[in-house]
Amino acid sequence: MASALRPVLRPTHLASLPTSTSTTTYICQSCRHARLLRRPKRPYTFTQLVTLSDGSAFTIRTTSPVPVYRSTRDTRNSPLWNPTSKELLNVEDDEAGRLAGFRARFGTGFDTAKEARKEAEMESDNISNTPASPTAANAEAAKEPTFEDEQNMFEEDDMNLLDLISSFGQENTQQETQSPQPKKGGKK
Amino acid sequence: MAESHLSLRLARTWRSFVKPSICNRCLQTRRTLASQASAPQGQRDAELEEASSLGGAPDAGSGSPVRDFDPLKVPRSRKRQLVPSRYQFRSPKYYRGPLHPHQPPPPSDPASREFVPGPFSTPRLEQTYHNIIAPDFMTMCYQHTPPGFRAPQKGARLRPWIGDSPYFRNRPLRGPRGGDVLRLLRKPITFRNIPMIERVTVHSFVKGALSGGSGYIHVAGMALQAITNHRVMTHEARTNEANWGIIKGKTVSMTVDLKGEDMYHFLGKLINVVLPRIKDWNGVRATTGDNSGNLTFGLDPESVATFPEIETNYDAYPGKMIPGLHITIHTTATCDKDARLLLQQVGIPFYGKVVD
Repeated sequence: MASALRPVLRPTHLASLPTSTSTTTYICQSCRHARLLRRPKRPYTFTQLVTLSDGSAFTIRTTSPVPVYRSTRDTRNSPLWNPTSKELLNVEDDEAGRLAGFRARFGTGFDTAKEARKEAEMESDNISNTPASPTAANAEAAKEPTFEDEQNMFEEDDMNLLDLISSFGQENTQQETQSPQPKKGGKK
Repeated sequence: MAESHLSLRLARTWRSFVKPSICNRCLQTRRTLASQASAPQGQRDAELEEASSLGGAPDAGSGSPVRDFDPLKVPRSRKRQLVPSRYQFRSPKYYRGPLHPHQPPPPSDPASREFVPGPFSTPRLEQTYHNIIAPDFMTMCYQHTPPGFRAPQKGARLRPWIGDSPYFRNRPLRGPRGGDVLRLLRKPITFRNIPMIERVTVHSFVKGALSGGSGYIHVAGMALQAITNHRVMTHEARTNEANWGIIKGKTVSMTVDLKGEDMYHFLGKLINVVLPRIKDWNGVRATTGDNSGNLTFGLDPESVATFPEIETNYDAYPGKMIPGLHITIHTTATCDKDARLLLQQVGIPFYGKVVD
């Protein structure tokens, strides 16, 4: 009776109060007097043995039910993680010499000359490495390449090519004056 | 009911009639000078007990309640086992405020509803960190100072306002030179403050969910859960962004915060198996970082699909819905340089120009 005449001081809706209109589930999600203590949801995990490509293995907890995981590509055989390993560099193995033969027949002179020089260097390295260490050290010190040697990318064939270019239009005179062997350029 | 009320009231009035308004004890203590003089010295206080309670038990006869007390009698006489609800503690389902008598136990208590058991294993990366990486890091960062050396004192980073102006009094201190940001201090590395990986945040912004429905969210959530062993937390857009097609209140991204065991398992898997399989990957850009030791890098959907969990069950995920990830590694290092050093030891390669 009296309370009906009194003005309602309590507002029906406040911005700060949580509204129950947004949730459709029955669970009391956020009300002031009772906060639901949710049980954390955790996916089931298995123990998995991860075997890396070099045979090392370790266990991890994972959601996948596969007991053993064998990896083919991992840190043990990836060149990014093994920058110094010789096996991981993509060197073509040409035991039968078929690739070299192909290159000799169809390849440019650039390719063949480089290959030949590399092989020669490898052989000389092998020879120099076999004797005792002091001599090997001496040999290496003697063989220490200079900056120009390293930076000079031109091979002999390129030299010939460059000569050819530089001597364009002077062929007749050169053939007359020069001996038949090709001129070694003064550029080297 | 009414009868008992009546009788109570009657008893109260009766007592007030019989007894005076001053209680017995007050009467005794209230002494005038005259009464004190006249009171005999040897009179004992009526409330004082003669025997000390410390002396020994009062005579415990056969019929005394002390002898008869047998706490095991009731449970032994019970014919069948007590129902579990009588002896098992059950945490309340709701937290009803600090003043409620029935309080839930803390989440570390196994009886709590929020309890998460674990750890169940010692991850390989964690062992590696404690056995190899941490000692190596300390050795690498060791800086020798001769005995008796004292580092020169540096001025305070927050400078006072010096001048004649009356407004300088009680003014808050001035910020550092060259900007407002007060960077973290790098202290010399000792055995106490070797940087370690604190937590890993895996974040995925699901672009397809903006236009393609909620399927993208579900797939991304399941993929992330499979990868990280953790339930994801979804995030809604806070503002409208017309250029990106983001609508306020729509779920656009999800994160997983990994700590401890799960974090180490995730990192071990990521570094050993997933990262080496990315095609044409140079490593993480060395310019990453937020200047306080937290580094971020990203994975595209193709490399996310190479996680062993997704790879074994690849058919379960719609191929175009697999999300890309951003992985933030929070370390306790206070500068990016230390964090990068730590992660390099852990096995994450970096490339490019280093900015410190």
